[in-house]
Amino acid sequence: MRLNIYRYDPERGDPPRMQAYDVQPEAGDKKLLDLLMRLRVQDDSLSFRRSCREGVCGSDAMNINGRNGLACLTALDGLKEPIVLRPLPGFPVIRDLVVDMTQFFAHYHSIRPWLINDEPLPERERLQTPTERERLDGLYECILCACCSAFCPSYWWNPDKFIGPSGLLQAYRFIADSRDTASAERLDFLDDVYRLYRCRTIMNCTEVCPKGLSPSHAIERIRLALLQRSS
Amino acid sequence: MRLFTGQRAWVVQRLSALLLLVLILLAMLALPFASPLDFSAWRALAGGALGGPLIALLFGALCAHAWVGMRDIVLDYLQPRGLRLAVLGLITVVLLGVLARVLLSLAMVALAA
Ligand code: SF4
Ligand code: SF4
Ligand code: FES
Repeated sequence: MRLNIYRYDPERGDPPRMQAYDVQPEAGDKKLLDLLMRLRVQDDSLSFRRSCREGVCGSDAMNINGRNGLACLTALDGLKEPIVLRPLPGFPVIRDLVVDMTQFFAHYHSIRPWLINDEPLPERERLQTPTERERLDGLYECILCACCSAFCPSYWWNPDKFIGPSGLLQAYRFIADSRDTASAERLDFLDDVYRLYRCRTIMNCTEVCPKGLSPSHAIERIRLALLQRSS
Repeated sequence: MRLFTGQRAWVVQRLSALLLLVLILLAMLALPFASPLDFSAWRALAGGALGGPLIALLFGALCAHAWVGMRDIVLDYLQPRGLRLAVLGLITVVLLGVLARVLLSLAMVALAA
């Protein structure tokens, strides 16, 4: 199969370029990541991240034929050739397909992605009713791959100030959690023209999430929670 | 007070959009029956107890909606602080000018009637 891959090595000082490759999939190769692993045998200078190879770690996010996705979840069948691979758009490139996620994780950190509850600890655990637990469905599954944020035009323009779909989905995950007692402070933090309200409901995030989640829906829920609080 | 509000602007944008939708639909339904729409008919409409306030509301919503939209564009694309404030100032002056002009005309027509 033919591939066209973005190559950039800042240490060599050459400008970025696209490099063509030819590689034959072997029996059992089903996903794009399988092909990339074969390619790496051919050319060990090619850099990309991967770990779990089953859509759990979120490390092999890249732009595949113009669309962000995980190489390990992208079937080779049906991929148009040449397969054009680029690093996640809008993210600083470290080398080839490896991007700098520092800012992305700083946004994640800013929403305080942990349970806040200062009430005395119960003897065993903090219980939830099945309905309360259900509210976390579609939120907790996020693997922080950044496919969504790197496909969001608002995030491209204001990556330093807009939290982005991934961080906002995570923020709502804790607002929606019945065991968390800091919803009010969380909402205060989000009520900001940049942090939350740069989202224009373009819905690229929902369109592209390889885990089938809907950050734009979570964002809508945050806005509604803010509205409810102030009315 | 924060200069660029988050939620308030968003609410203003949604409410003004709703108002615009309703008012424009209303106008599209009502105006074809009001023919001939000549100068005196417009004048009577603008000076009327119903028409005047509705036209004022329409332009109020239009200017509010335009303000939030233009502000969003400026916040996205204009990063230098000085340029940003200058353009925002200009937009504010133009929109307030439009609104003032409409209200003034409506008041004059109402007083003359
Ligand atoms: S919401 Fe989806 S696309 Fe975004 S980081 Fe989470 S798993 Fe990835
Ligand atoms: S819905 Fe909002 S967060 Fe999602 S891609 Fe659009 S602007 Fe970005
Ligand atoms: S390698 Fe872990 S998500 Fe693809």
